[in-house]
Amino acid sequence: MNSPRRWPCALIALSVLAWIVAVPVTADAQSPKRGGTLRVSYGNEIAHLDFHTAPGYEMMWVAMNVGCGLVNITPDGKFVGDAAESWQMSPDGLLYTFKLRTNVLFHDGTRVDAAAVKFSIDRLKDPATKSGMRAFYDAVHSVEVLDASTVQIRLKQPYAFMLHMLAAYRTGLVLYSPAATQKFSLDDRKQGKPGAVVGCGPFRLIEWVKGSHLLMERFDKYFVPGLPYLDRVMIRTIKDPVTEMAAFKAGEIDFIASFSPEHVDTLKAHNPKAQILTGKETTPMLAAMKVTVPKDGKPMSKERAPHPIFGDLRVRKAVGCYGIDRHEIVKIAFRGKATPWVGMNPPGTLDTVDVNHLCPYDPAKAKAMLAEAGYGPQKRLTFELMADTEKSVFNVIATVIKEQMARIGVTANIRLVDKVSWMNTTLQDGPWDMYVEDLLSLITLDSNGYLSNSTSTWSHPRHNDKRVDEHYARYAREMDAAKRRAIAREIQEFFAENMYWNNISGSPFFMVAQPWMKGYTYNAEFEVHYHRVWLDR
Amino acid sequence: MRVYVLRRVLQIVPTVLMITLVVFVMMRSIPGDPVVALLGDAYTEEDAVTVRAAYGLDRPVLVQYVIWLGKLVQGDWGASILSGRPVLQDVLIRLPVTLELIVLSMGVALAIAIPAAIIGALRQNTWADYTATTVAMIGVSIPEFFIGVLLLLIFSIGLGGLLPSSGWVYLPGTCPTMVCGVSLWGNVQHVLLPAIALGVGRAAILTRLLRASMLEVIRTEYVTTARAKGLGERPVVFKHALKNALIPTITVMGLQVGFLIGGAIVVETLFAMPGLGTFGIDAIIARDYQQVQGFALLTAVVFVVINLVVDLLYTFLDPRIRYA
Repeated sequence: MNSPRRWPCALIALSVLAWIVAVPVTADAQSPKRGGTLRVSYGNEIAHLDFHTAPGYEMMWVAMNVGCGLVNITPDGKFVGDAAESWQMSPDGLLYTFKLRTNVLFHDGTRVDAAAVKFSIDRLKDPATKSGMRAFYDAVHSVEVLDASTVQIRLKQPYAFMLHMLAAYRTGLVLYSPAATQKFSLDDRKQGKPGAVVGCGPFRLIEWVKGSHLLMERFDKYFVPGLPYLDRVMIRTIKDPVTEMAAFKAGEIDFIASFSPEHVDTLKAHNPKAQILTGKETTPMLAAMKVTVPKDGKPMSKERAPHPIFGDLRVRKAVGCYGIDRHEIVKIAFRGKATPWVGMNPPGTLDTVDVNHLCPYDPAKAKAMLAEAGYGPQKRLTFELMADTEKSVFNVIATVIKEQMARIGVTANIRLVDKVSWMNTTLQDGPWDMYVEDLLSLITLDSNGYLSNSTSTWSHPRHNDKRVDEHYARYAREMDAAKRRAIAREIQEFFAENMYWNNISGSPFFMVAQPWMKGYTYNAEFEVHYHRVWLDR
Repeated sequence: MRVYVLRRVLQIVPTVLMITLVVFVMMRSIPGDPVVALLGDAYTEEDAVTVRAAYGLDRPVLVQYVIWLGKLVQGDWGASILSGRPVLQDVLIRLPVTLELIVLSMGVALAIAIPAAIIGALRQNTWADYTATTVAMIGVSIPEFFIGVLLLLIFSIGLGGLLPSSGWVYLPGTCPTMVCGVSLWGNVQHVLLPAIALGVGRAAILTRLLRASMLEVIRTEYVTTARAKGLGERPVVFKHALKNALIPTITVMGLQVGFLIGGAIVVETLFAMPGLGTFGIDAIIARDYQQVQGFALLTAVVFVVINLVVDLLYTFLDPRIRYA
């Protein structure tokens, strides 16, 4: 029987229990606070603000917030509607029908309708636009307006990555207001003149002063009620990582959109409460080898001859496959914060396959293969190893490779150049033997096609193996996910066996946020959205 | 005097033209092509040829220079190849930041150099002199970026964010854009560390120079006479010795402006300041020829004008000097 004296104790115990249960719930279900300015730091300057043509992630991360598209992709690979409410693919995979939301407005007040979608895709496909994304729309035959809210995209052949492409290949599809695009010139848009950069995203552009800041402000008529939470997003360029760390430590910035991996430990030590956001690498760090050179000496010539050094597969494999110790490079250059990876598809990319077993570090085998190819103490193999100054890690990797080459009796002479010189040399089929770079992030293996098929300008090694193109075409057209994975494996093994793409590792990507920045969903470089971000200060 | 000033002003024109010509030719001689950066992912050889023709980059360098000059005479500084933004507008937005930095860093340099040099000269071969010369030697030896990083570590991190690490706040009434931080105190806070980082090296050079100059002057007969007449040490030093010792220092100060502009590139990058230095280095890295020309033109003009002002200052410091 309960004594009446025990009642107070029981009540206290119950209260304590209720408090224990209630407090975490309250903490987890913090309701977002509206208002405030998110202060963001970019490590590089924004090139310009014509989202369809500007290069660089910095521009893309603005485009994703000022602009809207048809669909977005979540970190777990699911597609969610943006301006599109729903979509359907025909059974033969040739027709995509998008039903648009009726309440989506451009910042100039005009409606986002089917005509705007057609206008935007046609603009991207137009060679006169000179968009880097044009190649992604090769599969698109035409865009048809069914009614104001319904648009159909007809494909030439099935394309398994249509939604990936629309969501996240570079900026993804960014819809342009036909009215604003016709009213303002391309130069106006590139310069970010007031009124010229019109999107349908959660933030509208207020001002861009190159080298100083970019300011975005909440678009009150954004189609998701209550969003965005922030009043403004202020982006500044801070190129020096030490200054970036100091500004972060002093609370002058809330979010570093891309932070150098080599400084992460230092930043963590100084800011134990900082949120370090990262994931599996989606960017390849490669030591590319040139496979062919122009036969007639004219850059970009279609007549090709094998590269005097790396045109020989035995040399490519000796140097790139067996002669490089990827674990050592990762340990030294990334302090272990990357994954040694032979496969061309980085570890965080869809359909990635571990093919490290195809290229184990084996200096003896490397030496034997070099001897077979005619190189040895009498005829020492010497090549030039180019690294650009954009990231210090390139130079570190080049130095380690030089040392590893010496171990197999090869001389690698490092040539340090700036980014533009590197781009000039590689893009224009100039003279180079090997370079270290991390190119760009890959959400799918398909998106790497334009960096590595035989016809692409951006395929720097200039291999002319048509089998690569066939592999890619087969992969992109295969609508069965399981069969596609099998093709992906074939491609990655094929590239490793032929050393057309000499991967070293993944290139790690870090973002850093203050503890008071809430609501941000990390999705590597692919989706950087601030509309659900709020400040708990 | 008027004729002299006019002649000096006219001399500015060929000097600046020569500088811009050298920069123009040099920029086009180094490897790299802005069209590659402009086209980015969309690069094809055919498009590159078209774009080069559109910007006149396929024409001989001297023809390009004459075209640029022709437009400049009409007030057209051209537009950035990459962003399309008018160069004149961009450099004018950034000029005040760099000018303020240069003026204040020179102020910092003088504030350190004058007392250090006077103490060093008046107490030659004492511990005060040795300290001043040693500090000056250290100041000359340490590069701006290192001093800048030390200042960041001490004042922005170590002392709990006493001074901001980066960015810029404009002086009231000088905001050149729609959105600016504007406040006198904010401006002082933001410019202090960069000005010290840039000024310390100059202070060291000026200290050594001024000390040597002071040592020479205080041994002259007129200083001895002044002392013999019973003048106090303060008027002897400040009125008679320092004024004359400053003349060679002022010449060097004018020449130091060139180094300050160079140093501003480093310091502005370190402190993420929206000045002309960061503008220039970004333009050079991107091979944005139009912007590089704008940067070169403006810095050349600033440099020669400041040196002209320095020359004119002589007449006030030394009444014996008269320009015919």
